[in-house]
Amino acid sequence: MGRAFHLARFELKRYFADRADLAFGIALPIVLFAVMTGALGEDAGFRATMHVADLDGGSIAHRILERVEDSEVITVRRYTRDELADALGRTAILTGFVIPPGFSASIDSGIPASIIVEQRGSGGSEGQIVAGAVREASHEAVSAIELRRAVGALTSDSAGDERLDEAVQQLLAEVHIRPLVEVVTEPMHVPEASELDRLLAGIIVMFLLFSATLSARALIAERRSGTLERLVTTQLSPGELFIGKFLAGVGRATVQSFLLLGLAFAVLGVAGPLAFLQCLILALVVAATVTSVGLVVAALARTDEQAAISAVLVTMVMSMFGGTFFPTTGAGWLEVLSRFSLNTYAVDAFMGLFSGTGHLPDQGPELAVLSGVAIAGLAIARTMFRVSSSPLQS
Amino acid sequence: METYLQAEALAKHFDGVAAVEDVSFVIHTKEIFGLLGPNGAGKTTTIRMLSTILAPDSGDVRIGGHSAVREGDEVRKRIGVCPQELALYPELSAFDNLVFFGRMNGLPGRAAKARARALLAETGLDDRGGEAVKKYSGGMKRRVNIAIALMNRPKLLFLDEPTVGIDPQSRNKIFETVLGLRDEGTTVLYTTHYMEEADRLCDRIGIMDRGRIIAVGTPAELKRQVGDPGKTTLEEVFLRLTGRSLRD
Repeated sequence: MGRAFHLARFELKRYFADRADLAFGIALPIVLFAVMTGALGEDAGFRATMHVADLDGGSIAHRILERVEDSEVITVRRYTRDELADALGRTAILTGFVIPPGFSASIDSGIPASIIVEQRGSGGSEGQIVAGAVREASHEAVSAIELRRAVGALTSDSAGDERLDEAVQQLLAEVHIRPLVEVVTEPMHVPEASELDRLLAGIIVMFLLFSATLSARALIAERRSGTLERLVTTQLSPGELFIGKFLAGVGRATVQSFLLLGLAFAVLGVAGPLAFLQCLILALVVAATVTSVGLVVAALARTDEQAAISAVLVTMVMSMFGGTFFPTTGAGWLEVLSRFSLNTYAVDAFMGLFSGTGHLPDQGPELAVLSGVAIAGLAIARTMFRVSSSPLQS
Repeated sequence: METYLQAEALAKHFDGVAAVEDVSFVIHTKEIFGLLGPNGAGKTTTIRMLSTILAPDSGDVRIGGHSAVREGDEVRKRIGVCPQELALYPELSAFDNLVFFGRMNGLPGRAAKARARALLAETGLDDRGGEAVKKYSGGMKRRVNIAIALMNRPKLLFLDEPTVGIDPQSRNKIFETVLGLRDEGTTVLYTTHYMEEADRLCDRIGIMDRGRIIAVGTPAELKRQVGDPGKTTLEEVFLRLTGRSLRD
């Protein structure tokens, strides 16, 4: 086992001696971070989405949503109740609105009703702005109804103009004091994470996977150059060689992720020290997972070209469907596909920790999936691991 | 003479095609044994079986009294392998390469470093041992390739075409190294396509063709098979035994 560790240490030394590898695995994501931060920090015109589950479906709910959409900067996206809960649960959105059943009927009867705002943490700035817009739209929609009702009531008696004006003003003031529609915020007491956090997590995971799968090329080059064969003529067994390569991959991905996470926390102020420590532990699990995927690629590919194509395909497909660039929740078939991407679980877990209020044990399902992929990948890679084109002697 | 390596009826097939068939020979202690043959004769496959990289389909090899099939670990303690390819890590220095393979052969860190320095001096690379191997000439890389095989002071050294593509100076240095090793008690199995090299270095030679050993003897004995040993060259012997048809 000591030889396996020594091999891993030697491999890390090789990694740090390879400037191209360092540039790709560390410098490139840092540049991307800078570009993303610059882009997302710019005032490029506000646009937001109201994620809503309209369980009422009545005319007043419909009118409120219409008014929100009329604002032009807010798009209304409709969900079922379950879809909305899931999207919130997966941090795909930070704020969701629920219009409860019977909402329109209550308002029609003059009984106050509420639109529920469910949000993760503070809901993010976008969520708060949308909630304000919904409040405004509700107020406008219901004020008109109240006014008509008041006028209708007064015109049925014999009061004069002066009395009528007085009554209307009084009722309108009451609507302001005790509005018929209240927008009630219900914090979910769950971590808050921004879109930038999602991108950071996604980019980190994507580059870890890229580096790990591309390192399959190095293993194939070693197979071709004869260094692997040469190693098994030493006292290093094929098993130790495999473990050494795995440990080297984990070490390399860990160093890479520690640097990128350190940057995200120190420079971009993602979250606090506790979250950082938990992220480092999570990074170890992710490192093991991506390394095992890289070893599978190395085991399956026979040439440099096959390894390179496989690495790009695996990384890009996993990243695209793993919520790296855009949320996949509530997107039907895309959401189904995202369940097959290990990036989904890694990004979700990092997002949960980036908020600063989540804890590693909360990421249990994600950690379980990532560990499962790591173990399955290792088993497959070990079975297929070869140092030459022919079967080895044990 | 004491036998150090004994190959017994070795056979290896790839996809049903025989690469090596019924190969038996012995190498004596402190002997340089040349294994010659045209391309595809089965030399490298034989060396891979002798050095425990490949398991034979049948037959066995005994090295220093240990079976390569059943006691691979014991055999690996006694051998050093210099493959035909430059099996090095080019981005690292010769020193780092040597120390690494020394550690993989069970040498403690300090001993591996001391041995690496000594070998760099022996191979004339001590002044450039700290440079990345990728900056070396072909001859320098070949010397590092051999030096790695010597890190564990092997009793039996496999040299698979160690002088391919290098200048006469480097080749001469390698000859001196091999002869010096033999004098110090190392047994050597040497393959080459250069017949004059085999003639100069090898105590005995085995000629392989189409996966089989077709002749074994000293250079003089082999020459005698085809003519006057004083006038016949080893190349003539080789062509007579293996034919003149081109090989893949």
